[in-house]
Amino acid sequence: MRMGSPWSGLIGPALLLLLVLAALLAPLLAPGDPLDMVARPLTAPFTDAWFPLGTDQLGRDVWAGLVHGARVSLVVGLAAAAATLGVGILAGTVAGFRGGLVDDGLMRLTEAFQTVPTFLLALALVSVLGASAGNVVLAIAISSWPPAARLVRAEVLRVKTLDYVDAARIAGMAPLAIAFVEVLPGALQPVVALAGITVGEAILVESALAFLGLGDPNLQSWGSMVANGRALIRTAPSLVILPGLCIAMAVLAVSLTGDGLARRLGLGTRS
Amino acid sequence: MGASRREILLSTTALAGVALVARGRGAWAQEPVKGGTLIVAADTEPRNLNPAMVASNGVFYVSSKVVEPLVEMDYETGLRPVLATEWGGSEDGLTYTVKLREGVTFSDGTPFTSEDVAFSAMQVWKPLQNLGRVVFPNLEAVDTPDPLTAVFTFSVPTPPQLIENALPALSSVLPKHLYDGSDIAENPLNMAPVGTGPFVFAEHRPGEFIRLERNPTYWGEGQPYLDAILYRVLPDAGAKAAALETGDIHLTAFSAVPLAEMPRLDALDDVTVVDKGYEGITYQITLEINHRRAELANPLVRQALRHAIDPQFIVDVVFMGYATAATGPVPSSAADFYTADVATYDFDIAAAEALLDEAGYPRGADGTRFSLRLRPAPWFEQTRAVGDYVRQALQKVGIAVELVTADPGGHIAAVYTDHDFDLAIGSPVYRNDPAISTTILFQGGLPAGVPFSNQFGYDDPEMNEIIAKGLRTIDSAERVAVYEEFQRKAAEDLPILVLVDFTFLTVARDEVRNVANNPRWATSSWADTWLQP
Amino acid sequence: MSWRRLGRRLLQAVPVLLLVAIGVFVLLELAQGDAVDAYLAGIGGAGDLTLAAELRQRYGLADSLGARFLTYATSLATLDLGWSIAFARPVLDVILERLPKTLLLMGSGILLAALLGIGLGALAALRRGRPTDTVVTTAALVLNATPGFWLGLLLIIVFSVELRWLPLGGFSTLDSRATGLAAVLDTARHLVLPAATLGLTYFALYLRLMRGAMLAAAESGWVTAAKARGLPTRRIVLRHMARPALLPVVTMLGLQSGTMLGGSVVVETVFAIPGLGSLAFEAVSQRDLPLLAGILLAGTVLVVLVNILVDIVYGRLDPRVGDNLGRVAGD
Repeated sequence: MRMGSPWSGLIGPALLLLLVLAALLAPLLAPGDPLDMVARPLTAPFTDAWFPLGTDQLGRDVWAGLVHGARVSLVVGLAAAAATLGVGILAGTVAGFRGGLVDDGLMRLTEAFQTVPTFLLALALVSVLGASAGNVVLAIAISSWPPAARLVRAEVLRVKTLDYVDAARIAGMAPLAIAFVEVLPGALQPVVALAGITVGEAILVESALAFLGLGDPNLQSWGSMVANGRALIRTAPSLVILPGLCIAMAVLAVSLTGDGLARRLGLGTRS
Repeated sequence: MGASRREILLSTTALAGVALVARGRGAWAQEPVKGGTLIVAADTEPRNLNPAMVASNGVFYVSSKVVEPLVEMDYETGLRPVLATEWGGSEDGLTYTVKLREGVTFSDGTPFTSEDVAFSAMQVWKPLQNLGRVVFPNLEAVDTPDPLTAVFTFSVPTPPQLIENALPALSSVLPKHLYDGSDIAENPLNMAPVGTGPFVFAEHRPGEFIRLERNPTYWGEGQPYLDAILYRVLPDAGAKAAALETGDIHLTAFSAVPLAEMPRLDALDDVTVVDKGYEGITYQITLEINHRRAELANPLVRQALRHAIDPQFIVDVVFMGYATAATGPVPSSAADFYTADVATYDFDIAAAEALLDEAGYPRGADGTRFSLRLRPAPWFEQTRAVGDYVRQALQKVGIAVELVTADPGGHIAAVYTDHDFDLAIGSPVYRNDPAISTTILFQGGLPAGVPFSNQFGYDDPEMNEIIAKGLRTIDSAERVAVYEEFQRKAAEDLPILVLVDFTFLTVARDEVRNVANNPRWATSSWADTWLQP
Repeated sequence: MSWRRLGRRLLQAVPVLLLVAIGVFVLLELAQGDAVDAYLAGIGGAGDLTLAAELRQRYGLADSLGARFLTYATSLATLDLGWSIAFARPVLDVILERLPKTLLLMGSGILLAALLGIGLGALAALRRGRPTDTVVTTAALVLNATPGFWLGLLLIIVFSVELRWLPLGGFSTLDSRATGLAAVLDTARHLVLPAATLGLTYFALYLRLMRGAMLAAAESGWVTAAKARGLPTRRIVLRHMARPALLPVVTMLGLQSGTMLGGSVVVETVFAIPGLGSLAFEAVSQRDLPLLAGILLAGTVLVVLVNILVDIVYGRLDPRVGDNLGRVAGD
C-alpha cells in the first residue's frame, strides 16, 4: 500500500508493537481464562474499575477478551500467512522451474482453487474439519495459496532465464538445488511485499470465520466477540464496536508494517 | 394497557393454577374483532411442513394452523376437543375409541371422516412420524365402524394415559384423498399442507416469508378472527427485537429474541414478554456422559460432576432467570408425574474434589486430574453457553475440558452414532409423558445411530425394567408411581445429569389478543387469536 | 471476442470444473455426519433406526463410496444438477431462486467499489501529495482493513437502528405486492447498506490501481506530447490518463468477481439476504452434496462469464485497439 511517509513509516509498526505487547502480556493484563464468566452480565463499559470495558451477556470480561483475542488473531494470522506463502512458494517454484506438464497441471489446480471463492472454501473446510485453531490455519492456507503461487511462478520464469542461473546449470548443479538455491531467492522479493497483505487477510478471514461461529470454542477471538454482541447491538453496542476496532487495527498494523518493510527493502515501487 | 396486563401476568405467575392467566387475559379482552394480518417472526423454514410426519415444534409453529390434531391441551380441562369430541380407552388397554366432530370439511371441501383418521394413523403416524414410531409401535389397526368413530386396536396393552398425553402433538389428521396411493414422504403437499384447520396454506417465498390465509369454511363458529398469518423469516435475533419494537412484526415465539433484550422489551409500553404457553413443551439442559470412558463409568466421578456444576448459575446467568434448576428427567412443571423426592446434590466444590480423590483421580502436578472433550449441542445459544460454563466449572475441580463444536448433522453423528465424545450438552424435550421422548435417554440396549437416545453406554437392568413397566401399566395412578421410581433411579445412578428445566418466552405487541391461552400455544391453531385494530 | 475464443474459454474451464467437482465430493466425504443426520437433527430425532435407513436408501447414501461417486459423476456429466436433499426440491430451482439476489448484491457492490475506486483514485492522482490525496488514500486504507461483517453491523447501528432511515435487512419489504417502480425502489432501499458494505470494503484496491496507473500515465510520452500540442487539460486527463488507467482496474474487476462471492456470504448473513453465499453455507452444514456442487458450478460459470465480459470491455478501452475495433465482440 503506497502511502504518505509518516503513516507507513511509524504508525504501522507502533500499532503492531502495541498489539504484540498486548498478546505477550495478556496473562498479566488480564489473568485467568477470558472465557470465564466472572461478573454481572452486561456491565456497561467504564462503570466498574475491575471490568473497565464492561462484560458481555454471560458476564465475561471484555477487556480480557480483547487482550487475549490479540493472541489468537496474531498467532493464527501469522501461522496462516506463513503456511499460505509456504504452499504458494513451493507450488510456484516447482511449476515455474519444471514447466511442461507439471506446470500445466499445477496451473489447472491453481485455477480450480481460484474459481472457488476463497472465503467459501475456507468456510467449507472448517465446518467439515471442525472448528479448532489448527484447522482454521489449515483452511486459510489451503484456500488462499494460489495468488502467491502465481506470483512466484511468474518471478521464477523471469529469473530462470538470467545469466547466473545458466551458470549454475552449466556448473552441473542438480535441478532441484538450482530451483530452490539459485532461482527462488531472486524471485522472493515481491513475496515479501505480499506477506503483509497475506497476514492482514488471514486475520480478516479468521475473524469472519469466528463471526460465523467457526472459531475455536476454547479461545476468545475478536470475531466471535462481535458475533456474541450482534444480537445486542441495541442494548450494548460496545460489545460489537470494540472487538471490531481491534480487528481493523490489527489488519491495518500488519499491512502498513509489511508495506513499510517492503519499501525499506527497495521493493515498494515495483508493480 | 400494557402495564396493567403485565401486572396481571406477574400476579398470577406465582399461582399454581395457571388457568387464571388465560382467564385474566380473556377478561380484559373485549369482543374479538375480525380481520387483520398477524405478522410473526420465523427463524428458519422447515423443509417439510407436514405435522403428521414431522412432529416438531418448528413444523407445528406454522402448520398447526392448517392441519389440526384430534385434541388440544387446555389449562382448565387438561385436554379439549378439536377434531375429536370424545375419547377413551378400554380397561384392558387394547382398544382406544375416538368420536369425531360432525360437519368438518377439509379446506378443499372434502368431508372429514374416520377414514382420514385411520389413514393418518396407519400410514403416517405409525410408520413415518418421528414420535409416532415410539408411541404407536403396537398399533395394529384403526377400525371405522361409522364415519364419525375411529377405534384404535393395539396388539399389546397400551396405557390410555400415554395415548392422551401424546394426542395433541402426534395426531395431526391428513386428508386421505390427497395422500392415498402417493409416496407420502415425497408428496408435494408436504410443503403446502392441506387440513381442516382455521387457516389454509397460501404462499411460501423461501428466505422471505410463509403466508397462511383464513379458511372460510372452518368449523369453529365465527373463527378464525385473523384474515392471515405471515411468518417473516428473520434469522437474526437482534433484527427480530428491532422489528417488534418498530411494529414490523407483532410477535416472536420460542425465545427468538435474545434473553438479554427481554427486560428492555418488556419495559416498552406496547410490548409484553409472556412466559406462559409452553407448559406442554418443556425443554431441559442435560450433561450427557459417555460411560465408555473409565473415569466417567465411575459413579463417584459422576456425582462429583454433579456437585461441581451449579444449575442455579446456569439459570441466573445463561437463562437470565427464565428457567429453573432441575432435579431429574421429569420437569417440575409436569405436575402429574413430577416428584421432588429424589436424591439431590448440592453445588459443593469441596465435595466434588473429595469424591474425585476417593475415586482415585487425584490432581496431578499441573493441578489436572484428567481431561475430557465436551461437545455442546449447537441448537440453542444457551446450549453453547452452558458448554462454556461447564468447562469453567469442571476446570475448577481439576478436570481439563476441551470444547469441540460441530454443526447439527456433525453433532448428531458424533454423539449418537460414533460415540465420539466424553461429555455433551443436550437439550431434550419433555413432551407431556416420560414415555414419549424422555425414557429413551435412559433405556439400555439401543442400537447406535438413534439420535437423542441413550448412546451413553449406560445399561442398567433395573432401569430397563422400570421403563418397560411404564409402557405396560394401564392404571394411571400406578403408572405415575412407576415414573416416580424412574426419577429416583435416574437421580441415584446419574447416567446423565439433568441440570435445568426451561420453557420459552413469547414477546408480543399488545394489539395481539388471546396470546398464550393454552399450554401449547405457539404450536396450537390460533383460531381464537385476534388483533386489536 | 469471437465465438471460437469463447469456445476455447469454456473448454479451458472443463478440467477446472472437474477438479472442483471432485473436491466437493471429497470435502463432504470427510465430514462427520451425512445429509440424513442433518435432517434428523432438524426434526428432533426419529426414535429408531428405520427412518434413517429408509432415508439413506432413498437418497442413495447407503451405497458404497464408489457407487456414490459414480452416481454423482454421471449426473454432473449429463448436466443434471439433481435433487437437493435439504430443500427437497430440484437443485436448479433452489439456485435460480437465490441467484438473482446475489447477482444484484454483488453487481451493485462491485459497481460501487469500481466507481468509488476510479473516481477517488483519479482525484487522488490529480491532487497528488495534497491533503485530498492523503485523506482519500487513508480512508481507503482504513476501510480495506475493516472486516465486512463489522462494517455492516456499524451501518445497521447508525442507519437502521439510530436514524431508522433504512431497513435492517432482508431483500424486500415483506409480502409487498408493489409492482413496477415501487418494487424497484423498495429493493433498492434494501440494497443500500449491503452494497455499501461490499463496495466500501473492496474499493481500496481499485483506488490504488487507478491512482498508480494515472500517475504512470502522467509521466508517459503520450501526455507530454499532448501537453506540448496544447490540448485542453480536460481532454488530456480523460483520454490520455484516465482511459489507459482503467485497463488494470477492469482486469482486477474480473479477478475479484470470485472473491466477492465469498465476501457476500458474510454480508448476506449480516443483512439476512437469502442469497447464494448463505445457501452455500447451508449446503455444507446440511451435507447436501448435489446442492453444494450445483452452487459451485453456478459460481464457476459466473466467474467465466464475468471474465468474458471483462475481455469485451478491455477491447473497447485499450487505446492500441482503437475506437472501432471494440465492436468486434459482436461478430
